[in-house]
Amino acid sequence: MAAYLSALLVCMKPLNLLLIFAMVALGIVFGAIPGLSATLGIALLLPITFGLSTETSFVMLLAIWIGGVSGTFISAVLIGIPGSSSAIATCFDGYPMTQKGQASKALGIGMTASFIGTVCSVAIATVLSPVIAEAALHLGPWEYFSLCFCAITLIASLSKGNIFKGIMSAGIGLLMGCIGMDPINGATRFTFGNVYLTSGISTVAQMLGMFAMCQIIRDNAKGEAKMPDVDVKNMKGLGVGFKDIIENIKTILFAFASGLWIGFLPGMGSGISNMVAYGYAKGISKDPESFGKGNPAGVWASETANNASLGGALIPMMALGIPGDGITAMLIAGLTIHGLQAGPLFMTEQPDLAMLIFACVMVSAIVTYLIQIVTKRWFPYILKIPYHYLYTVILVISFIGGYGISNTMFNIYVMLALCLLSLFMSVAGLPTSPLVLAFILSSKLERYFRQGISYAHGSYAPFFTRPISLILLIISVLCVFWPYISDHLKAKKAAKNPAPAAANADVNDD
Amino acid sequence: MKMRRDMVTGIVGLLTCVFFFFMTLQVRQPAKLLEPGPRLLPFVALFLIGISSIALIIRGYKDRAKEEKPYFPKGGVLKVTKSFLMLVVYAVAMTYLGFVITTPFATAAFIYDLKGNSEVKPVPTAIISVVVTAVLYAMFVFAFQIKLPAGVLFGG
Repeated sequence: MAAYLSALLVCMKPLNLLLIFAMVALGIVFGAIPGLSATLGIALLLPITFGLSTETSFVMLLAIWIGGVSGTFISAVLIGIPGSSSAIATCFDGYPMTQKGQASKALGIGMTASFIGTVCSVAIATVLSPVIAEAALHLGPWEYFSLCFCAITLIASLSKGNIFKGIMSAGIGLLMGCIGMDPINGATRFTFGNVYLTSGISTVAQMLGMFAMCQIIRDNAKGEAKMPDVDVKNMKGLGVGFKDIIENIKTILFAFASGLWIGFLPGMGSGISNMVAYGYAKGISKDPESFGKGNPAGVWASETANNASLGGALIPMMALGIPGDGITAMLIAGLTIHGLQAGPLFMTEQPDLAMLIFACVMVSAIVTYLIQIVTKRWFPYILKIPYHYLYTVILVISFIGGYGISNTMFNIYVMLALCLLSLFMSVAGLPTSPLVLAFILSSKLERYFRQGISYAHGSYAPFFTRPISLILLIISVLCVFWPYISDHLKAKKAAKNPAPAAANADVNDD
Repeated sequence: MKMRRDMVTGIVGLLTCVFFFFMTLQVRQPAKLLEPGPRLLPFVALFLIGISSIALIIRGYKDRAKEEKPYFPKGGVLKVTKSFLMLVVYAVAMTYLGFVITTPFATAAFIYDLKGNSEVKPVPTAIISVVVTAVLYAMFVFAFQIKLPAGVLFGG
C-alpha cells in the first residue's frame, strides 16, 4: 500500500501530471481517428523514450495507451466507423443514437463506461498481480515455456477465417525472432554477415515498419484515408447521469466481468470482449429488438467491456511477463529498452516501478475522463483533421524513430523491409497479431524450452509430468483443434436434427 | 489458370522454408549439448510455415473456381508501389544528405502523395513542410536529446 501511495505521488509530480495530460489528449486523438490507434501511438512514442528516464517513459507510454483505448468510441458513435476493433460493437447502437439526435448521450455513455471499465479493472489488477507474481516465482522453465506456447497458439487459433494463416504468421514471427544470437549458446543465426543483425531485429523497428508505415501507404492505396462528414449539435453537458448507470447496472457488471476475464487471456482482448458483452446485453434485454437501433445498453456493454480488458491484460503482463496482446507486447518492449524484464521478479524486486505502472494507469484513466468531459463538444473536430497532414507527420516521426534506435540508418532499412513484409501479409490475408506475439515471445519460448531440457538432463518428460505445464499444453492443443472439432460437432448436429440447427444459426447471426 | 492469393502465399511460404532450411543448416551447433541447440527454433518456425503453406496451397487449389475480389482497387497497386518507392528514396537521400535537407522535400512529397481527392496548394504545403521539419528537429534534438542523421556527405 505504501509503495502504491508513493507511486501515486510520483504520478502527481507536476511534470509527470503534465505529461499524462498531454499524452492522454494525444491518445484520445489517436484512438478517435480510424486507422490510427493506441498501438501506433505507443510505437511512435517508444523511440522518443530512449533518452528519458524509465519513470517518465512509462508515464508517457501508459497515458497514451489509456487515452487511445478510451478514444475509440468517438468515431464509432459519431460516424459509425470504429477507431479500432475494440469499438466495433459500440457502432451498433452508438451511431444510431447519433442519427436519432442523441450523440451527446452516446458520447457520455462511452466516456463513463470507459472510465468505469478502466478504473475498476486496474484496481483489481493492482491487487491481484502481486499475488499471482508471488505464486509464479515457484514456477520453473517448463511452466513458462508452456505458458508462452499457449499464448501463441491461442492468438493463432483466433485468426479470423483460417487457422493456418494464423499459424503461418506465428511461424514468421518465430523466424524473425531467430535472427541474431541465440539466447543460450550465443550462436549467430541468419545475420548474413551483417554486424547490426547480431543483436536481432529491433521491436521498435518492427512496430514502426509493420504498423505505421505499412498502414499509411496501404490505406492510401485502398482509398480508405478519408472520413465522412460529422453533423452533430447540442453537445453540451455529460449526457448521462447516475440514474442511467443504475438502470444498466446488470449489463455493466457482466460487461466488466467478461472484459476483465477476456483481457486476462493471452491473445484475446478488447476486440473480442466488446462483442461478447454486446451479445450478452442483447440476450438479457427485455427489448432485444431495439438493439442495433440505438439502445444505450449496447454502448454501455461494449465500452465497459473493452476498457475492462485493459486491467485484465495488465495482470499477465505484470505478474508473468507474458503479453496478452500487441499493445502489452510493446509495453514489455518499452521495459526491455530500459533494461527491465517484466514478470514475477520485476514485481518483487522493483515494487516501486511496478506500482508506478498501476498508479499511472489509474491516474491516466481519471485524467482521460476529465479531458473527455471538458472537450466533448469538440470531439467532431478531431475527425476533421486532414489525413494527408497527419499521416505525413507520422511517416517522418517513424523515420526519426527508426534512426533513434541505434543512431544508424540500418534500422530504417529494416523498417522498410518489414513494411514490405507487412504489405505482403495484408494482401495474403495473414493476421499481424500472431506475428507480433510470436516475435516478442520467441526468445523466452526458446530459452525456457532449452533450459527446461537442460535442467532435466536431456529429458522432455517434465513438460508433461508437471501439472500446470501439462494443463497449459492441453489447452494449446485444444485451441488448435477446437475450430475443427466444433465444426464437426455442428455438422453432425445439423445432420441429425436440421430444425433446431437452423434455429441456432438464426441466434448466432444475431 | 489464375492463381488464388492463398496459393501464391503458400508457394512463397514454401520457397521461404527451403531458403531458410539451408540457412539453418549453416548455424553452428555446439557439440555434446544436453539440449536441442540453436537450430531448434528455426526448424520449429519452418515447420509451422511449411505445413500452413501446404494447407493454403490445397485450399487455394480447392477454391480455384471461386471468383476472388482484388485486394486493392483499380490503380491501388501502382499507388502503393509509388508510396513505397518514395519511402525508399527518402531513406537513401537521408543517408547521404541528412534529415534537415531531405525532410522538407519528403514532407511535401508525402502530402501530395497522400492527399487523395483533397485540394492541396503549393505555398501552404511548402510552409507546412518547413515548419514540420523545424518543429520535429527542435523537439527531438533539443527536447528529447535524440540525434538525427547528419548525412554521409556532411560527415554524419
